[in-house]
Amino acid sequence: MGERKIRVTEYLDLDVDAEAWLCHVCGHRLGDGRTNYKEGCSVRARDPREIHPPRIEGEFTFAPDPNWVRVLEFHCPGCGTQVETEYLPPGHPVTHDIEIDIDRLRGRLDSGELIILDGRLAVREEA
Amino acid sequence: MPIPSPDEKLAWIRLEPPTEEELRGLELLRPGDYEIGFQRTNDILDEALEVFQRSCRSSMGIAGDVMVALFTAQGDLVNAAAGTYLHAIIQPIIVKYIRKYYSENPGIAEGDVWCANDALYGGIHNPDVVCLVPIFYNGELIAWAGAANHTTETGAIEPGGMPVSATARFQEGLNLPPAKIGEKGQLRNDWLELFGAFGIRAPQMVITDLKARATAADRVRIRLVELAEREGKDWVVGLFRRMMNVAEEGARKRVRSWPDGKYRAVAFSDAVGTTQGLVRSAYLTLVKDGESLVFDFAGTSPENLSSYHAHVQAVVGHIANYVYSNVFYDLPISSATFAPMEFRIPRGTVLNPDDRAATSCSVMIATGAMSAAPNAFAKMMFSTQDWRRVTASASNAGNAMIIAGLTQWGLPFADMLAYSINTEGQGGRTTLKGMDSFGFPWCPFGRAPDVELMENEFPMLIPISQHWPDSCGHGKYRGGVGTVQVWVAHQAPAVFPMVFFAAIADNSKIQTPQGLFGGYAPCTVPGMAVRDADLVRRLKEDSGSVTLNFGELIKKGAINGVWENEFMGRAVRPYNNGDIMTFGFSAGGAGYGDPLEADPEAVAEDVRNRALSLSAANLIYRVAYDPETDVVDHVETDRLRTEERKQRLDLGKSFKKFTAEWSELRPPDAILAVYGEWPSAAPAQPVMRM
Repeated sequence: MGERKIRVTEYLDLDVDAEAWLCHVCGHRLGDGRTNYKEGCSVRARDPREIHPPRIEGEFTFAPDPNWVRVLEFHCPGCGTQVETEYLPPGHPVTHDIEIDIDRLRGRLDSGELIILDGRLAVREEA
Repeated sequence: MPIPSPDEKLAWIRLEPPTEEELRGLELLRPGDYEIGFQRTNDILDEALEVFQRSCRSSMGIAGDVMVALFTAQGDLVNAAAGTYLHAIIQPIIVKYIRKYYSENPGIAEGDVWCANDALYGGIHNPDVVCLVPIFYNGELIAWAGAANHTTETGAIEPGGMPVSATARFQEGLNLPPAKIGEKGQLRNDWLELFGAFGIRAPQMVITDLKARATAADRVRIRLVELAEREGKDWVVGLFRRMMNVAEEGARKRVRSWPDGKYRAVAFSDAVGTTQGLVRSAYLTLVKDGESLVFDFAGTSPENLSSYHAHVQAVVGHIANYVYSNVFYDLPISSATFAPMEFRIPRGTVLNPDDRAATSCSVMIATGAMSAAPNAFAKMMFSTQDWRRVTASASNAGNAMIIAGLTQWGLPFADMLAYSINTEGQGGRTTLKGMDSFGFPWCPFGRAPDVELMENEFPMLIPISQHWPDSCGHGKYRGGVGTVQVWVAHQAPAVFPMVFFAAIADNSKIQTPQGLFGGYAPCTVPGMAVRDADLVRRLKEDSGSVTLNFGELIKKGAINGVWENEFMGRAVRPYNNGDIMTFGFSAGGAGYGDPLEADPEAVAEDVRNRALSLSAANLIYRVAYDPETDVVDHVETDRLRTEERKQRLDLGKSFKKFTAEWSELRPPDAILAVYGEWPSAAPAQPVMRM
């Protein structure tokens, strides 16, 4: 059986058989496909004013307030691509945003219900 | 009559089983009838929508923020011209309530006009008013038609229908459970007087819009009776059932094709009413299992003493705004497309509060659900053939700004001006940037009103209407930028020489939408005003001394006067002629993808068009662009981007190390008063309402 890889986000592939997250840009392995891919990323917490600079003086400046929110950037350790961001209050748990049922997906691929076309899932009748 | 429970309302959004009559009608459909009949309902609804919009008096009605819909006799949504998708999906609750409790007393009769605006009974919030008419053919009820839009006034403690200071429903003015306000094809005068009395700040707008709703719904009735006359009643009800069957089948097929799993998204806001504070406005776990989608909002912040709550059906309505704009844009706007969906919204949260809670600003708190949905769907759909339907979240700011007082023509008015809500930025897309000032995330049909019309209708002058640079979330495909106007109180009559202003808004400390796939969220928006401003005087006397450009006008000293710098949400206050009541901002959409992947030439074009600042092009996109020569240095851009990627990794930490440090942090207690327990958002204290 050849490699069964699907493109889950702009920068994130899932190797269904190896059960691994991979960077879509450089192929770097980002971790176990059953865990949060962010655990395999390099993380940078930034003051939001670096991204959204203040434009006026005063308490309200067009920039998010760093007491309220930080910008978390998740980068591929292999190539530095910014895989995802999250705007979170300081200390708020990171979101486990994608939790694909890999067993079920593999079963649907094995049964032929789903196929992979150009890196994306398709129902067989659509092939 | 009992107030329907949250579970009952959610159940009423779901399809009723087919009747014997509908099943018989299905047999009558010949090849081609479905396609022609479906289009006929589209034509009927579009005609009624046009009638509605042309008959309205409110700013939002005139701008197209309206909805007309068609329902089965049982109350299920068959099709709609919308518009305000959130209004369409929830109306079955009202119809089913009327059928259940009022069939005998006062009875449902030909020529009736029913009306409701109470969110406890199925509405979005009380400024959103619906009129419903039953459609009879030869004495038999065969369908319902409905028309809804946002009214300008409800007689609440503040003008404009969305009292930002309300702490319980008792301060919201008119909350009308379903009631029969018209008989034998006419609105009753006693009911018109009631609406006029509650709408005393703007009676001509309230009454005219009420008549517009009834007129639009009645136009649907007329055309549907004509259709039944031509094709037969059984054919019509059979067509409706076929339309719902096809819609349900289409929705289930699409859902089934996506990978099973759990997809999560979180959204925050920074205020409830006039109280600033952190709120986890949506903590969404979207569970996809076969043909089923379960939206679980456990972990959303608890209810509070403000009007920033949404009853459960309003949450569904806000999900519908996104779903019908993107995921199901090619399927009928029908109860049937929601058949695969189930909603679990814990009682006691801001998305399912106590019956006494104020919900007049539900559309503000529900921006969390509306912003979380695109991210959860994106992560579920991108690996499928539906990947092009993915977008980053629209701005979903809904900066609802109210003015009230006497017009220059001496008429009392209170209105929410459509410009700042109908010109928000779209989220970045998979292959394109988001559209600038694309529309109203609550109503993609809505248009930016003519400035001349605004100045004619209200005592105000609007010297600028522009896109504002960097209002978007940056990304490989940036979000669309929003707009800014300057609203000057102008020509308020001598007998009442001031204009009242209020803003129902948030997003001054933190933005609600998140970026997508490495894109950034949009920037925040301040409340800005200038009392005793010299702008109009200088425009009259020395227009050369003023540069009518947003970036220039906010520079220190550009406009002399007393500048106010506040939270964007502002309780009602008066302004005098000549004061700048506000800079009227609509916000930008969220960004899609890593900004370092943006096409450098597209970035330069955005700088030329003032969608992006040169600073953003240099610092965020790392594009070497010289505006003097209008040339992009691609070699230098590559070097800058390589350097930036390296710096990211130099400054980044492993997830384990990051988490160890991050988990020690906590926001200041002062901003956690309405959040709930940190970080779980479990209720921290009971909420007592008088």
